[in-house]
Amino acid sequence: MPEEITGDGAFRVLVADDNEVAQRLCKRVLEKAGYPVLIAADGLQAVDIALNQRPAMILMDVAMPGIDGLEAMRRIKAEIPAMPIVIASAHSMASDRERFLAAGADNVLSKPFKLSDLITIVAQLAAAR
Amino acid sequence: MAQDGSLTAVKTAAGARSATTLWPLRTFHPARGGEASGELPGTGPLRRGSTSWTGTLVRRGTPFAALAAVFAVQALASAEPVVAFPLYLTVVLLVSLQQDRAESVAVAIVAAIALLIRPLATAGQAADVAPAVLLSAVLVAVAVAMNELTRHSREAAAAAQQRVDDLAASERRLRATLESAAVGLALAGPDGTLLETNEPLAVVLGRSREALLGTSLADVTADSDREALAGGLELLGGGDIVRWDADIHVVRPDASLLPVGLFMARLPNPISGDESLLVQLADISARTHADSLRDCVAAVRQVVVSSAGLDGALPQLLRTFCGYLGWDVAQYWAVDSDQRAMRVHNAWNASGEALDGFLDASRTEAVVQGTGLIGRVWRSGVLGAEEDLNDVNDYERLAVAQSAGLRSVVAFPVVAGGEAVGVIELASVRARGLQDDEVTMLVTAGVEIGQFIRRTEIAQALRRSEADHRAIYERSPIGIARISSGGEILEANPALLLMLEHDEETMRASAWPDLLRAYDQAAARQHKAPFLAGISDGRSVQVRAATGAGKWLWLQLTATSIPDASGRPEHVLVMIEDVTAVRETSDKLAEALEAQRDANVNLEKIDRTKSEFLSIVSHEFRTALTGIQGFSELIRDGGLEPDEVRAYGGYIFNDAERVNRLIGDMLDLDRMESGRMSMRATDVDVNDLLMEAISRAAPSAVSVEFKSDLDPRLPVVTGDRDRLIQVISNLVNNAVKYSPEGGTVTLSSRVEGQFGLVSVSDTGIGIPQDEISHVFERFRRVRSGAAQSIPGTGLGLTIVKQIVEMHGGKIWVESAVGHGSSFHFTIPLVAEDAKTLQLRHA
Repeated sequence: MPEEITGDGAFRVLVADDNEVAQRLCKRVLEKAGYPVLIAADGLQAVDIALNQRPAMILMDVAMPGIDGLEAMRRIKAEIPAMPIVIASAHSMASDRERFLAAGADNVLSKPFKLSDLITIVAQLAAAR
Repeated sequence: MAQDGSLTAVKTAAGARSATTLWPLRTFHPARGGEASGELPGTGPLRRGSTSWTGTLVRRGTPFAALAAVFAVQALASAEPVVAFPLYLTVVLLVSLQQDRAESVAVAIVAAIALLIRPLATAGQAADVAPAVLLSAVLVAVAVAMNELTRHSREAAAAAQQRVDDLAASERRLRATLESAAVGLALAGPDGTLLETNEPLAVVLGRSREALLGTSLADVTADSDREALAGGLELLGGGDIVRWDADIHVVRPDASLLPVGLFMARLPNPISGDESLLVQLADISARTHADSLRDCVAAVRQVVVSSAGLDGALPQLLRTFCGYLGWDVAQYWAVDSDQRAMRVHNAWNASGEALDGFLDASRTEAVVQGTGLIGRVWRSGVLGAEEDLNDVNDYERLAVAQSAGLRSVVAFPVVAGGEAVGVIELASVRARGLQDDEVTMLVTAGVEIGQFIRRTEIAQALRRSEADHRAIYERSPIGIARISSGGEILEANPALLLMLEHDEETMRASAWPDLLRAYDQAAARQHKAPFLAGISDGRSVQVRAATGAGKWLWLQLTATSIPDASGRPEHVLVMIEDVTAVRETSDKLAEALEAQRDANVNLEKIDRTKSEFLSIVSHEFRTALTGIQGFSELIRDGGLEPDEVRAYGGYIFNDAERVNRLIGDMLDLDRMESGRMSMRATDVDVNDLLMEAISRAAPSAVSVEFKSDLDPRLPVVTGDRDRLIQVISNLVNNAVKYSPEGGTVTLSSRVEGQFGLVSVSDTGIGIPQDEISHVFERFRRVRSGAAQSIPGTGLGLTIVKQIVEMHGGKIWVESAVGHGSSFHFTIPLVAEDAKTLQLRHA
């Protein structure tokens, strides 16, 4: 995938994932595309950063220690309903996707993912803003 | 009335002579016959006709005129009293004969005065006066004497006349009585010859009075009764009895017989000394007719009441009609089963062979509804009669009936349920009319016989039904018992006795009460009512019961109460079925079903576990693949710094290794769980293994302090050395992984009874209480914040547990959050060979 810088530097993305490899991958790809990245390693941390640092969107894993990604999303949406949250999960059955959308996710990204898919999703949300 | 009264009197004056028997005829009704005493003589015997005053004056004056004339002649002739005396005497005598005492005495006195006047007037001598006085006295005396004499003779004549008059009146009254009597009365000689008859008697006998005179009673009596009559006459004549009566038949000139009541009384004649008979004959045909009708009805009822069925009753019924009503032939016509014709069902011949031809002809006849006498009666349902067969043409067997000499026929329906089911035909060789009462009687009899037929049909149906039910009861393969409302057995059918292998006596004495107790216990267990309460609901209860031979059966009891007429339970019907075979089969089925259900539950659980497992495994794989795919994509697309490429290659390698481990663990686990894991049983020194584990882990875990507390008495055990190393190193690695810097990991061993006990304790983060029970489940890694970065497949502890259990030991964990965890496992000290291990696991 040819790297394109689509981000304007102001569209900050919070990556909430307990898997360090996933954190690094997302951070590397998104920053390269021009989106500053914040990292949270579990659900509670994600809520904390989302409310205090107000990223432009959140890329949220589900299976995390403490509160899971869905609970974190619920808490964040309760405070900032307009916060775009994309669920990025290795739970990738069709029923899971429906479940996440029903829980309030703005989009769903199944792991493992193509890097272009990640960037497209983020770019779409950035454009919509 | 009059003759009745007289007859009553005759009876009360038993043995009296005929004179006394006749007087009451007159005196019985004093109001009408009162003249007998009211006009007795004694007052005015000469009061014949009414005499005028002048007549009386002339009659009474004439003697005095005669006396005056005699006196005048005597005076003119100056005759002596003696001379005139005969004249005076003549006058006095005449007057005395004619007149009453006062008049004749008065005339005598006047004559005496006339005799005395001259001697007294001439003042003659006493000698002259004395003869005159004597003569005067003679005159008066003659007058008085004559008068008495005359009176006496008159009275005697009057009395004689009176007797004659009375006799004549009595005769008239007797005659009138005879004639006016409604019954026939007659006087007869001792031999029964009729001397005198009244008109009713002549009417009864159907002859004129004149013709009857001189006829003997025996001549008009029916042959059958003549002997009886002769006997009666003989008895009366012999003086043994004074009265005789009997019901006999008399023969009328047309040879018909008439039933009469005959009464005869001896009537002695005091004058002649001859005895005669008072004969009374009454037509009792009406009474006899009514009696026979009544008796016939009674006889029909008697037959109907005492008979069991129509076939038995019919001959008697037909005989009854002939016998009581005087018919010669009786036949019963019954409707065919196809309802299309009537045929003779039964016949009775009361007369003789002459009528057999008619009966034979009837027997072959099939009567169609509406034609002929029988057919018309059948259709109309009302009585029909042909009083004279000579005047009919619509009669089925006219020719044969006529040739048999039959004259009259009557047919009446036997009505059951509103329609004629049969017709009874009666025929007579005499032409006989039918009177209303006989018609009524026959129709009534027809209805009664019809009702009887209906009743017997119902009774037969009932008997059949009863027999059917009895057969069901007797032959039913199901046991049936009839129980009193008190629970005692009243009746048990053969099937029940056979089923329970009891005779009736032991059944009643012990088996049934036992069964009832069992029923009540079973009912109580099933929350049902005991046997004698709520028995009407027909619910079933199964009980276990022993037979007389000691065999145990499952019996199903179904009780139904049978109410009496007032609705109270009178007795209970209990159906008892041997459901042993069914029950055993169903028990087996239930067991099989239960097992199936358990298997299904297990399958479902396995299925669920499997899909859960799949979901978890795919998640783990995808998580690992996320790094591999992402970083390999970055490397592929190029444009990276060499350091970056090296770092990303490391990530990819680690994750690939992790995927490989996952696969290996999963395969191990699967082999262990499916029993395909092979164990190599050798002697293992557990303490050695523990020391090896420490020495292997220590170099990479510099921040942790290792301690050991090993029991030297722990003997060598039998086990798979490699697997046991896997267990210990897994537990040690976990302990290191979850221990903070400066933590302590302690390995200990000791002997606990038949087991060696190994413990691996850390001073790490500990496991939350709610997670402890899940630590040995697959992919149940503790995901606390501190543990998040600790890699693992999540299958390690599950595999450890499997290996421990395969060796016959147990594994468990004690932990407190913040204080660390202790994993303990046991291993049997008694050596078990590999095969046992293998088997145990399988």
